[in-house]
Amino acid sequence: MSSVLGIAPVTRIEGHLDVFMTIDLVNGVQTVLDARTKGQMFRGFEQILQGHQPLDAVHLTQRICGVCPISHGMASSLALEQALGGVPPSNGRIVRNLILGANFIQSHILHFYHLAALDYIDTTGILDIAPWVPRYTTPDMVKGAAASTFVQHYVQALAMRRKAHQMGAIFGGKLPCSPVFIPGGASQPVTSAKVTSFRTILTELRSFINNIMLPDVQTVATLYPQYYNIGRGPGNLLAYGVFDLDNSGTNKLLKRGRLTKGALGVVDTTQIKEYVKYSWYTPASGNLNPANGVTQASADKVDAYSWIKAPRYQGAVHEVGPLARMWVNGDYRKGISVIDRLMARALEARKVADAMDGWLSQLSAGGSYTRTLVKASGMGVGLTEAPRGALGHWLQISNSVISRYQIVTPTEWNASPMDDNKIHGALEQALKGVKIADPAKPIEALRVIHSFDPCLSCAVHMATPDGDTRQFVVTP
Amino acid sequence: MRITRRDYLRASTAAGVALSLKASGMLDIEKAWAAGTKPVVLWLQAQGCTGCSVSFLNSIYYATVDTLLTQTLDVQYHTTVMAAAGQMAVNAANAARNRGNYILVVNGAIPTGAAGKYCMLWPGMTALDGVKAFAANASTIIAVGTCAAFGGIPGGAPNPTGAKSVGSILGTTSKLINVPGCPAHPDWLVGTVSYIMQNGKLPVLDSQRRPTTYYGSTVHSHCPRRESETGSYIGGSNCLYGMGCKGPRTHCDCPSRKWNSGTAGQAGVNWCVESCTPCHGCTEPTFPDGMDPFLTVNNTPRAYDD
Repeated sequence: MSSVLGIAPVTRIEGHLDVFMTIDLVNGVQTVLDARTKGQMFRGFEQILQGHQPLDAVHLTQRICGVCPISHGMASSLALEQALGGVPPSNGRIVRNLILGANFIQSHILHFYHLAALDYIDTTGILDIAPWVPRYTTPDMVKGAAASTFVQHYVQALAMRRKAHQMGAIFGGKLPCSPVFIPGGASQPVTSAKVTSFRTILTELRSFINNIMLPDVQTVATLYPQYYNIGRGPGNLLAYGVFDLDNSGTNKLLKRGRLTKGALGVVDTTQIKEYVKYSWYTPASGNLNPANGVTQASADKVDAYSWIKAPRYQGAVHEVGPLARMWVNGDYRKGISVIDRLMARALEARKVADAMDGWLSQLSAGGSYTRTLVKASGMGVGLTEAPRGALGHWLQISNSVISRYQIVTPTEWNASPMDDNKIHGALEQALKGVKIADPAKPIEALRVIHSFDPCLSCAVHMATPDGDTRQFVVTP
Repeated sequence: MRITRRDYLRASTAAGVALSLKASGMLDIEKAWAAGTKPVVLWLQAQGCTGCSVSFLNSIYYATVDTLLTQTLDVQYHTTVMAAAGQMAVNAANAARNRGNYILVVNGAIPTGAAGKYCMLWPGMTALDGVKAFAANASTIIAVGTCAAFGGIPGGAPNPTGAKSVGSILGTTSKLINVPGCPAHPDWLVGTVSYIMQNGKLPVLDSQRRPTTYYGSTVHSHCPRRESETGSYIGGSNCLYGMGCKGPRTHCDCPSRKWNSGTAGQAGVNWCVESCTPCHGCTEPTFPDGMDPFLTVNNTPRAYDD
């Protein structure tokens, strides 16, 4: 006799997400048969951006998400550079990469310690106060001295992620939300004093990642080896790539590419379509490439259950994130699972931090910006990566203002509902088959959900121009 | 000895910075916290981006967040960091609400369209209903970030979801403090909470219910570039008014406090104008539409209209 298990709200993510799972006994253990992920907050950035002067987009889109604002600033700058014909000087390209890298490090530290780790550590006797209580405590959690060490690292990690933002602000002006991004580069000029102070903090962060964070992730991997076989999902991966090493766009620290049905391939964004059969939008809003994206709400649509559209590449579900990037780049190809996601994220933090030291040496004292004039019309696409996956901005300028602005975010890829062919999204697929020892404490499901590092502010940015939404109510 | 006006301003600004930071800053935190029990904090996230929480995590001037979370504050609900999930988390929020006497912190705007369903805190609880229900039993309400304080970007035209500020939803209330910024500087939030703990009352507020300690002066009034010629390009060291800087109509202490400090009691490493780009006016009720366009980079610098 199946029942519905809801986690609403999911905590230790960014934003508002509810997850509902249909579970039933399979060989004596409650098992997830079906899962539905539901974004619960809308603002309507696409409509709000329309009519704004194009350069405003770099700053407005950063407020889509305060955990990954820099990625939006980067995507917006790249899209505007394409539309306006801007080319940053070398300093500008590198300064933007350094700020983005600083935020990647911040986000990956925050994710492992402050969002995910509490799924694995029992802090009873160590942190017995709110917000660490109440909590699920399960027999398989790390306890005792090992848990104590983890908690010490959790506290140390709070300081480390703060320092990563301090480091980023040296060039970024302030974090979160950096005002220096602009098509044509970055407003902040380079000085040798800034290079030195950036490098000092970077060295400390690299030491933390290597000596504390990576070993801690390995500890989780060693203690929970079964999670190498839990939470696989569709098995397809997609990465737009990030951290341009020159202005060609084709030479990146983490390459663009995909893994589809076991074969590596190139990414052609014309092959992306967003489906809306199970999303609260009109049929006319669906089956469209983001360059022609339409968003018309249809709040009473039968069978729909999410505000998130279902993006697909050549009709297939793809997962995005550090694992996708590291796999496509050839840096990590062990497997696709909860632990593989945690491991790839930590390894990527090290890879990016190490590369940043080299980039610092490529800077020269002086400006980082080549003025790029705003044109009356143009179109551009900016493809980059947020810490949690592939991010694209599609923009159109008409009559000197923004006439269309579409954003396809990583969590839209990862937390999408079913598409028109009733194929579930990546996280929904990853939850299918997960065994829940005690439905009152669905820690197994949380471990799967958190491995994707969901960011829901990003997942839903669309407007409902006309009125009503409908609450999805699960009935057993 | 004759000094130039520029020298005078530079010297007095530096002294003033030290003084104002001292006066508003080092609020004998240890004494405040040792004095009483930890204040209970319930933090609700509405139509926001988590930027104000991420910024809060960067706190260091008054205290770092590990101290704040383990020793100073009793944070009963904050969905970004709390261990509990789902119904367990909701129960914790409701139990704290029933006990009353807490500081309610809200970030994000409150959508009123579609009966508030554009933002659900949890099943059956819209942000609209939630902010009213949790405000009723709170001793103090802090609307952190420009979205909560004034509607912010979600409230920008055409405001598709009917987003409003916390103050608009709750009506006139003497319990409310607005701590805007996009995001809010961690010091503005932590310092305000510290003041309440130490003094048992709200700090002096301006007409927008912002603490005058942090929002009492305009950015322009103590900007180190105010005596320089207006420059005509982003990236330079001159006054950025011509490039769209909203310093003259924006209230906060960014020029002296700066951002992302690495040391307790010290100013930050940088700030918007120091990074050679204009102030966007993010602490004001008119952000973003009244600050549009943020930048003026084509060949005609903007004429003075403040």
